Amino acid sequence: MRTGSPVLALVVLWLPFLAFAVLALVPPLRRRGRAAGVVGIAAIGAAFVIAVATWLTAGRAETAVSASASWTWPWIPGDGGPMGTVGVMVDELSMAMLVLVTLVSLLVQVYSLEYLDKEPAPGLGRYYVYQSLFAFSMLGLVLAPGFLQMFIFWELVGLCSYLLIGYWYERPAAARAAVKAFWITKLGDLGFIAGIVMLWGATGTFDFATLFEMAHTSRAPLDGIETIMFLIYLGAVGKSAQFPLHVWLPDAMEGPTPVSALIHAATMVTAGVFMVSRAEVLFALAPTVLEIMAWVGAFTALLAATMACVESDIKRVLAYSTVSQLGYMMAAAGASAAGAAFFHLLTHGLFKALLFLGAGAVIHAVGTNDIFRMGGLARAMPHTAIVFLVGTLALAGVWPLAGFFSKEAILGGMWEAHLEIPFAFLALTALLTAFYMFRVVFIAFFGRAHAGGHPHEPGWLMRGPLWVLAALTVAVGARYAAMPSGEHHGPAWLAPTSLALAAAGFGLAWATYQRGVIDPAWLVTAFRPIDFMARRRYGLDALYLALYRGVMLAFSRLIGWVDRYLVDGVLNVLSAASLRAGDLLRRVQTGQAQDYVYGVAFGVLLLVVWVQFWRR
Amino acid sequence: MFTIGLFGVLTRRNAVGILLAIELMLNAVNINLVSFARFRADVGGLVFTLFTIAITVAEVAVGLAIVIVIFRVRKTVEADHLDLLRG
Amino acid sequence: MTGEALAFGAVAVVIVAASLAVVLTPNLFHAVMYLAVALVATGVVFLLLESPFLFGVQLLLYAGGVVTLAVFAIMLTERLVGERIAQTSRYIANGAIVCAAVLAAVLGFLAGVPGVTAPTPAGDTTPAVGRALTGAFVLPFELLGVLLLASLLGALHLARADD
Repeated sequence: MRTGSPVLALVVLWLPFLAFAVLALVPPLRRRGRAAGVVGIAAIGAAFVIAVATWLTAGRAETAVSASASWTWPWIPGDGGPMGTVGVMVDELSMAMLVLVTLVSLLVQVYSLEYLDKEPAPGLGRYYVYQSLFAFSMLGLVLAPGFLQMFIFWELVGLCSYLLIGYWYERPAAARAAVKAFWITKLGDLGFIAGIVMLWGATGTFDFATLFEMAHTSRAPLDGIETIMFLIYLGAVGKSAQFPLHVWLPDAMEGPTPVSALIHAATMVTAGVFMVSRAEVLFALAPTVLEIMAWVGAFTALLAATMACVESDIKRVLAYSTVSQLGYMMAAAGASAAGAAFFHLLTHGLFKALLFLGAGAVIHAVGTNDIFRMGGLARAMPHTAIVFLVGTLALAGVWPLAGFFSKEAILGGMWEAHLEIPFAFLALTALLTAFYMFRVVFIAFFGRAHAGGHPHEPGWLMRGPLWVLAALTVAVGARYAAMPSGEHHGPAWLAPTSLALAAAGFGLAWATYQRGVIDPAWLVTAFRPIDFMARRRYGLDALYLALYRGVMLAFSRLIGWVDRYLVDGVLNVLSAASLRAGDLLRRVQTGQAQDYVYGVAFGVLLLVVWVQFWRR
Repeated sequence: MFTIGLFGVLTRRNAVGILLAIELMLNAVNINLVSFARFRADVGGLVFTLFTIAITVAEVAVGLAIVIVIFRVRKTVEADHLDLLRG
Repeated sequence: MTGEALAFGAVAVVIVAASLAVVLTPNLFHAVMYLAVALVATGVVFLLLESPFLFGVQLLLYAGGVVTLAVFAIMLTERLVGERIAQTSRYIANGAIVCAAVLAAVLGFLAGVPGVTAPTPAGDTTPAVGRALTGAFVLPFELLGVLLLASLLGALHLARADD
């Protein structure tokens, strides 16, 4: 295992934070829009360079399992050593993520300069503040040496997602989407924190290195580990949009497209997969949870793919596609093929970001998200069309692009784990993936051009990142095609089968949308029940809304009633009682002197009685 | 004699009547003091009685003066009507 | 029964009767008269208790001064309508109960006190009183003078406050 220099990792981590601090604390700079953008880009660019340097200068560690990769500082004191530590853990997993996060952040920030050029300058400055904060949070998450720090940055990343989805906060749909994203991921986070705390309760530490060592030497107390790991998995369910907590991701498309490219394709949503990969040693102790993970992942993949087939909003198609691919990754992790999952995470990060940014170019040019209002864009925007096609081929898993290898690795892993039904789900999903992506390509880029508007190529600030990502996709694929890695999963018939599935999907889409041989309406009729449900998102959104209204609001009303009538009621009764008592007592003061003499006589009486009887 | 005086203080309506009843109470006390002097062969009892008589006279004078002033201001000396201290 | 006791008994009856009359009679003038009777009777008690000096003081100050003052006060506070100063008493029952209770308490208290034997009378005590007043009790005596002066001034001022 290779470990990198913690010093360089720290520099990578703190550079975006520096940009964030500068922009947050110096309002005049922030309000100058493009200047803020330059600051942000400079920081993340430098961070990227250093991340690559970290990767390149990484050496080999002597110890087999652990710990020399991490630097930690004690943070929360406790008996017998600190209870919580913060620091960095720089191994292959985190170094790869460092490069990915900084690269995609850099490309997105450059792209945003042109995409958001119509924004008022203060708004643009605010955007870059959030972007820098997000980069810092995500880097802190991947570098975390323990669950505690990971959780803190997990929440921070969720916050940035909220801020960025709701960037155009004056639009009610955007505000609602941001809140929804926050709520749904919070549900998962509840499980996450519960699991982490229970793990600490069982083992006494949050630190990964210690935990992995305990797991390896079987010293970890094993009862309850299944529950604990399931709860921790729930965090990934929320963050990585697994069923049934996937409903926030399509709505998150209300945010600007570069945001979607960054955090809802390449980085934030992959945090769940990253966490599962990081803790795979612990998950290996809980095979039931792994099985659940595989089934849920495969099911999510299939479900989302069906929903993508009926969408007409290009960003929503890509969102469902992301959900589907995340399902692939989680299924692989559940099949104990976490390496394949992480590989797919990296490749998917590249080509999904590419697809989103390409979609952004299209939206920026045409002014609408609806693919049925686009058409013939290949002629008007050839560069964009080419890169989008590259991304589509990668996503569909066509050799020799990167997506082919990672998808094949996952399918192989599933087969070898003897999870046949999930494997079937994933295979079917591969077909559907090709189908819906080429559907979009054919409808938007080919066919008749629409009358209104004159779409044109975007400027180089947007085209540059697109070409970079496309080149990387091809390069990664070429590398794996030229040097097949030793870990070749799966039976020999897997590769041709997956290619055949992709071809079938392509063929279906071509026949339906390009050639018009098959009427889309016929397809709808053939699959009417699925089509019906898919269009209504399988009723999940409605279910959540009903639950929220019914349960949560009812609960809030109950609490409100208790507060008003019981808590306040006690106080009101007490004060009313004291007022009444005061009223009654004041009647003693009659103002008549003779009544007071009565009082004196009575007092004398009492005194005499006391002396007579009680003092004897 | 004391309790009779107390009864008078408690029940009389007229302020002057109340003062008369107070006189009764004070006289009862004087009798008590003098009998102490007689039965204990202590002349202090007589001296004390002298003092109380003198003070009582002073008190009556001032008290009746106050009653007269009250009558001038409130036009009544009935104790029931003098309830300005009422809370 | 000794003559002294007999005489005391008779005077006691007079005192009690007169006191009751003071507090019960509706007519205030009559009440003042009965008060005078009670005060004189008290003086007689003093005489029986071998202090003629006090008997004299009582007659002079109380029966003379206080009664006169009370009469004047009644005259001055009479309503202009001229109604007789008749009055009823308030809450007789309550007062009676409380006073009976106090009486019972005091008598009960006294009942527990051991009887006292009467020492031989020491003769005329008046010179002794004089010596005490200017000897051991000279300070209160002087203060008494101050008090009388103050009350005199106060009464004067109050009585002419309207000017």
